[in-house]
Amino acid sequence: MVTWDFSALSPYKSIILHGIGETALVSVLSFALACVLGLIAYLGCANHLRPVRVISSIYVEVIRNIPMLVVLFFIYFGLGEKGLNFSPFWAAVAALAINNGAYLAEIFRAGFQAVPSGLHEAASALGLGPFQTFRHVTFMPGIRNIIPAATNQFIMLMLFSSVASTVAFPDLTYELQRINSATLRTFEVFTVGAALYYVLSTAIALAAGLLSRRMYRW
Amino acid sequence: MSIFHYTDSLLRAAVMTLKLCAFGAVAGTAWGLVVGLLRASSFRPLRWLAALYTSVLRGVPILIVLLFTYYGLPLAMPNLRFSAYICGAIGLTLFVGAYVAEAVRGGLESVPTGQTEAAQALGLSNFQRLRLVMLPQAVRVIVPPWIGILLALVKETSLVSVVGLVELTRAGRVVGQESNNTLAAFALVALVYFVICWPIGQFGRWYEHRLAASGLRTVHEPAVSNLLGEDAEVPTGGAA
Amino acid sequence: MIRVEGLTKSYGAHQVLKGVSCEIAKGEVVCVIGPSGSGKSTFLRCLNMLETFDGGTVVVNGHDLSARSVDARAVRREVGMVFQHFNLFPHLRVVDNITLAPVHVSKKSKGVSEANAMELLERVGLADKARVFPKSLSGGQQQRVAIARALAMEPVAMLFDEPTSALDPETVDDVLQVMRRLADDGMTMVVVSHEMGFTRDVADRVLFMDHGVVIEEGTPEQVFGNPQHDRTRAFLRRVS
Repeated sequence: MVTWDFSALSPYKSIILHGIGETALVSVLSFALACVLGLIAYLGCANHLRPVRVISSIYVEVIRNIPMLVVLFFIYFGLGEKGLNFSPFWAAVAALAINNGAYLAEIFRAGFQAVPSGLHEAASALGLGPFQTFRHVTFMPGIRNIIPAATNQFIMLMLFSSVASTVAFPDLTYELQRINSATLRTFEVFTVGAALYYVLSTAIALAAGLLSRRMYRW
Repeated sequence: MSIFHYTDSLLRAAVMTLKLCAFGAVAGTAWGLVVGLLRASSFRPLRWLAALYTSVLRGVPILIVLLFTYYGLPLAMPNLRFSAYICGAIGLTLFVGAYVAEAVRGGLESVPTGQTEAAQALGLSNFQRLRLVMLPQAVRVIVPPWIGILLALVKETSLVSVVGLVELTRAGRVVGQESNNTLAAFALVALVYFVICWPIGQFGRWYEHRLAASGLRTVHEPAVSNLLGEDAEVPTGGAA
Repeated sequence: MIRVEGLTKSYGAHQVLKGVSCEIAKGEVVCVIGPSGSGKSTFLRCLNMLETFDGGTVVVNGHDLSARSVDARAVRREVGMVFQHFNLFPHLRVVDNITLAPVHVSKKSKGVSEANAMELLERVGLADKARVFPKSLSGGQQQRVAIARALAMEPVAMLFDEPTSALDPETVDDVLQVMRRLADDGMTMVVVSHEMGFTRDVADRVLFMDHGVVIEEGTPEQVFGNPQHDRTRAFLRRVS
């Protein structure tokens, strides 16, 4: 019979908190970098120079078809073997950023494309040039389209940051595994862990929804 | 040793990956279908439970689910022996099921309410209505996100390596260490994944083109932000 | 002001404009009528280069639109356009919609542009709506803002592409009134419209187009009172 004993976890409260902190740090940093990468890739895919378009498309296609774990191992173990040593933290950040950048590029593309073409026509008719049109007419409505998908991507990134534990990065998942080994109270440990992640992802979704509604009164 | 001496072990590991995919795809889709239909059930506790399941499984990392199953199943049923493969397969099934359930829910919602009313007016039972009227129409809308889920599944099998299963990614690690050429090993591994995934993605795109041509708008993937019940209007990205 | 000779345009195999010629003098109000698919909107959109054309000459306010060196933005600075679906910028308040182009294209100062914008809003009767977002306005109000937005660039001519076709009948008159006043003030206008009453009262000349050519041309009295061609007669019978 399975008995539950959550009190066994109380001595590890601070470790769990620390793990949450590391998870948060890695997630935010990686997402910021991923946005930059994604923007570059998006602009690259729409560039008028063919080689730029090709490189950007290859980046997006390759990432979408291989697991993030492979990217992470490639960076941490593969490059490490050749002397380019990444700390677990930076290997995780790099892998997460590279991986999510490709998906964000697609999100940016779809978001800006969804802006009604009538608005572009009106801007052209008023004499606005292409860059001006993007800056004043396409950007804000496009961002509004992008926010739900980008929020979703951030949540996925945060959940996927748990993969960093495989290279011994002390995030929440890594600490949970350590606590599991120490206490052997598997159900309690992973239930608490799951609950923590669930609360985090729900909170982010709620916050983004609220922020979006406040920002976009139009 | 040249990396190509190890193609044998890599291919065997690839087979293991495909086995996981097949199990996860079939079992996950079936399970997801059940849960998705339960969410449309007229029995409130069932509806609520299915909703909770879907919501929770989509709000926690796949790794946690895998670890939970790997450590938890043997504890819950100490008389049975659980291999890493079985634990991984069950974990993947539970995870995929939640996303399929969400896709099914989205598909059913896309069927115009007039259809439900017509079916009810004709005297069909709830189950008949679902089976004969709603699902056939919902399937078209469910397929694109479902393909996205399968694509993600192939990549998620790599995480089962964490519980010790020698699938493609772990094999890459081992081969890399033995051949002292981790870079080449993982490049090869990446190539195999690409070869498996790319056709799936292309099929998905072709299917969506066909759908768009027939005038149907598609939602690419069940968004996690659906925790609030809002659908992303724009194609979302994906997991690793 | 505007001179068109032998304008032709094809979309792939389908020829939309088969040699359209006309001259529009300064201060003239020319209405283009005809069945849908006749090419009237395409013709209009060629005048400010929203559409390119294949053959013929178009000279707008001294700019030869078929010349390689033509500056599309310069043409568009001098010619204003009002669209069937308004195309107001949803993320900008009404006053900012109007000042956007003067500030960024004509390089006027924000203060001067805003003062002009408020004047224009007074003229169209919407000064109290300056700081609201377009979504809270009715269709007719949005269209009047769109007219003010185009006027803010101080164009020498205004193009109207079915300006009232997307409006509720109650608000159509408000927009037509604004257009009437504009005509009375001496603006050169080319209007594609189905509003026969407006055409009869305000137009100096009417062009009837069908299947990519101008079938008949004349004053409203001539075209409505004494149509020369069968197709003109048939069309007028249908819309009266």
